[in-house]
Amino acid sequence: MISLTRRFELPDLIAYAGATWDWHKLHYDPAYVASVGLEAPVVDGQVFGALLAEVLTDHLGPGWRLAALDYRFGSLVLAGETVRAEATITDQDAGHVRADLRVVVIDDNGVAVRDAVSRGSAELVPR
Amino acid sequence: MNEFADESSARGLLTLALKARLGERAVYTAPEEIGRATARYFATAVGDENPLYHSGKIVPPTWIFETCQYTGLPREDDGYCGHSWHLDVPGTRLVRGGHRYRWTRDVRPDDVITATWELLDMTERTTRTGSPMLVVTSSCRYTDADAAPIAEQTEDLIFVRLSR
Repeated sequence: MISLTRRFELPDLIAYAGATWDWHKLHYDPAYVASVGLEAPVVDGQVFGALLAEVLTDHLGPGWRLAALDYRFGSLVLAGETVRAEATITDQDAGHVRADLRVVVIDDNGVAVRDAVSRGSAELVPR
Repeated sequence: MNEFADESSARGLLTLALKARLGERAVYTAPEEIGRATARYFATAVGDENPLYHSGKIVPPTWIFETCQYTGLPREDDGYCGHSWHLDVPGTRLVRGGHRYRWTRDVRPDDVITATWELLDMTERTTRTGSPMLVVTSSCRYTDADAAPIAEQTEDLIFVRLSR
């Protein structure tokens, strides 16, 4: 399995909201978040797609590009939490690489406490 | 007579008014090229140090699925300014199911993107805990200035009935 770990603090959420022009208050406004019953701003779920892309392209190098990426959300991830994006290569030859994917929220000891992305898969092809 | 026969199904979420919206489309064209700075900013925000993105050779692949920046839509009360179908499903809360992304080629900084959304399907299902839910599936095709395909996504929006 290959993986990367990333912690999302509020400035990270604000940076992603700015980079994507997705200004939904759910991602940065503590007062709005409290009004809908949540403890902290919510990490934009699409950032997990970016992390899964990163873990795969970092592993395979610039000769490969993504052709397909599917993922299903699990639990919400809140500001201040740390996630680990995991990929397991299931099939590889000269023409394609396939992988199973998952993103988990981890505690301070690196132990998975719940799924952010409960399941996913990807296919990469030569660039 | 079924109490929902005129307006909705037995579970009461998929109304005739909602069904009538299937096949709706929305098209947004960016006013300019993506640009190298956009690629670098997105990679920086995500924490991805891949030199292909920071040198401006290509754009991080999932960037293309974030279309708020060229919808030209006004900001809503909750801050959101991107594409939305504005579906009215009373008595539910909305959760996102997941995404299916497909790429035909790399996204490049000189691409001028057109995004074409389509409302594909609405299906009533039941959650694992027995609550009715409506799964709304839509797709978006991303093409370049020559109308050639770059990428496509399909996403599920799930409206789960609130407990009474």
